[in-house]
Amino acid sequence: MKKTLNINIGNTIIHIEEDAYELLTVYLNEVKFHFSKNADNFEIVTDIENRIAEMFSEILAAQQKQAISIEDVQSIIEQMGSVKDFETSEEAEEDQYTGPSFNPIKKLYRDTDKANIAGVCVGLAHYMDVSVSWVRLAFLVSAGFGGAGILAYLILWIMIPKAGTKTEKMFMRGEEANLRGFANSYLHPFVDESRGFIARSFDALGRFIHGTGKIIFKILAVFIIAVGSFTLISLFITLIAILGVWDASLYHQFPFNIINEEYFTTLAFAAFVTCAVPLLALVLFTVRVAFSSRPVNKTFSFVLLIIWLFGMGSSIFYAVKISSDFKESAEFSQTVELKPYQAYTLNIDRTRFFTSADSLRYQIDPNRYKGRKILTDRDWNNNEQPRNIRLTMVKSEDNSVSMTQNYSSRGRTFEDALKNAQNTHYDFAQKGAVLNFSSALQILQNVNWRDQELEMILKVPVGTSLTINKDLNRSLNGYNYWCDHDDNSDYTEWIMTDTGLKCKYPHEEKEEE
Amino acid sequence: MIAENTQTQMRKGILEYCVLLIISRGEIYASDIIAELKSARLLVVEGTLYPLLTRLKNNGLLSYNWVESTSGPPRKYYVLTEDGKSILSQLDTTWIELSYAINTSKKVTENTPNININLTK
Repeated sequence: MKKTLNINIGNTIIHIEEDAYELLTVYLNEVKFHFSKNADNFEIVTDIENRIAEMFSEILAAQQKQAISIEDVQSIIEQMGSVKDFETSEEAEEDQYTGPSFNPIKKLYRDTDKANIAGVCVGLAHYMDVSVSWVRLAFLVSAGFGGAGILAYLILWIMIPKAGTKTEKMFMRGEEANLRGFANSYLHPFVDESRGFIARSFDALGRFIHGTGKIIFKILAVFIIAVGSFTLISLFITLIAILGVWDASLYHQFPFNIINEEYFTTLAFAAFVTCAVPLLALVLFTVRVAFSSRPVNKTFSFVLLIIWLFGMGSSIFYAVKISSDFKESAEFSQTVELKPYQAYTLNIDRTRFFTSADSLRYQIDPNRYKGRKILTDRDWNNNEQPRNIRLTMVKSEDNSVSMTQNYSSRGRTFEDALKNAQNTHYDFAQKGAVLNFSSALQILQNVNWRDQELEMILKVPVGTSLTINKDLNRSLNGYNYWCDHDDNSDYTEWIMTDTGLKCKYPHEEKEEE
Repeated sequence: MIAENTQTQMRKGILEYCVLLIISRGEIYASDIIAELKSARLLVVEGTLYPLLTRLKNNGLLSYNWVESTSGPPRKYYVLTEDGKSILSQLDTTWIELSYAINTSKKVTENTPNININLTK
């Protein structure tokens, strides 16, 4: 049994056995090379090909068979004459070209005939024209560096094809793939004298690894392509969503309000390009390697690279520009005196402050909503921005009750930072013994997030009881707020002592334990 | 080497003349020309004929017609052009001159072996 190929020669489709095809290819290449100096080379070669096709048809018809064998090709070459015959019988004085002086082409293949494991080293040695020992030594040494050599070997094993046919073997050795070389290899098949015991035992394993390796690689490739494409599509949809469905409310969501409004569109594009181009390149490369399709057009790759560099450049430019807005910091504080009480209740007030711009945005008719409260969602703050308030409770030295608010922010200059700190809103109000806190420091409309923070210091005299809403606990600074004496209660109870704030019922807690 | 070169030169000239002679008898296909040349023991391999035919055609001595074939691709059937015919008649005269020259030369050389034989006797 032999593998056959279909060839189109002289506009005739011929079935031809693989070895016969190789011989014919070599022959025709020689003929083409021989006549390449001739002005009419195309016509001559076509004539010869047509004649060969005709002879093939005759052979097939005469012998009533399906495929051309190597013997048929040999007899045809005999009849047609080899290049050597042409040389002697042809015009000796005319174009005496000095033999084929071109450098034989070399191709990278695995030499399984001389292999110790899979022939990667021998193949590389053939290709680079160095001794095999050096290549093997290089792999052994690099295997010492965290197994890099082993990994490289496995990858090369999978990637480099094995020199299967005689033509491939000749290309691997850099021999001329001509009739003479071909005849040599045909008459004296490469002997595997240097194959040792190890090589033979590795053979079975090798076939296994190469086979399954290919499958694993293909699966991996399909996975990479799928994930890559999916991410690409998601990125694209995100871009469209951000730019197309973009409205003022998104811009005021936390991660987006870092970016200055005027940079927004450009930066979105730049970020998209920066992420999408390498992904696209990865997908294309994987497709190419795994399914050996045609390499990507060079111009296309170049354009992609330029686009990526441009995207990367502007991303970095804007990132630097924005980060320079965090250079300086500013802080201002205000202190209010509170009416003294023996006990305070600290509550979180979810009533949201609306600016006039907010009212417009939500189409709130001030008259209709007069006297009503709009409560924000419980987790509204958590999604919007990092927690930006802190509350510290210290004892007051002079028995007065006061609340100090430190507003801080960052900015390009001190003035900017101060302006950013001022462009915030926080509601704190005393209603008798109840102190109401907003859940977060609000950044005003059209102001970027510049790490605006509010630190509040509540000063109360020693002995004052504080009942603190558990929701507010999270913004407490520096106290152990696991002061739960009653799990069902929404409040924890504290008392101010000489050494600071303490749990009001520490003993009960211990008793419970 | 010199002998080979001379042989090639002689063969080459005569081959062209013979090809023109064969084609002059009527429209003919390349492989039939080869068959004729082989029976005349003038050509060894087919490959040498194609460059020759192409050269003669490009010099205006030959032209060809495509003829459909029952086996394989269409065939080129060659015929002599008017130029070819006039050149062939010139070659005819040249051949007569050449054969006279050879015959005359041979008459002299034919005597030489006899002399040698006489001498050895």
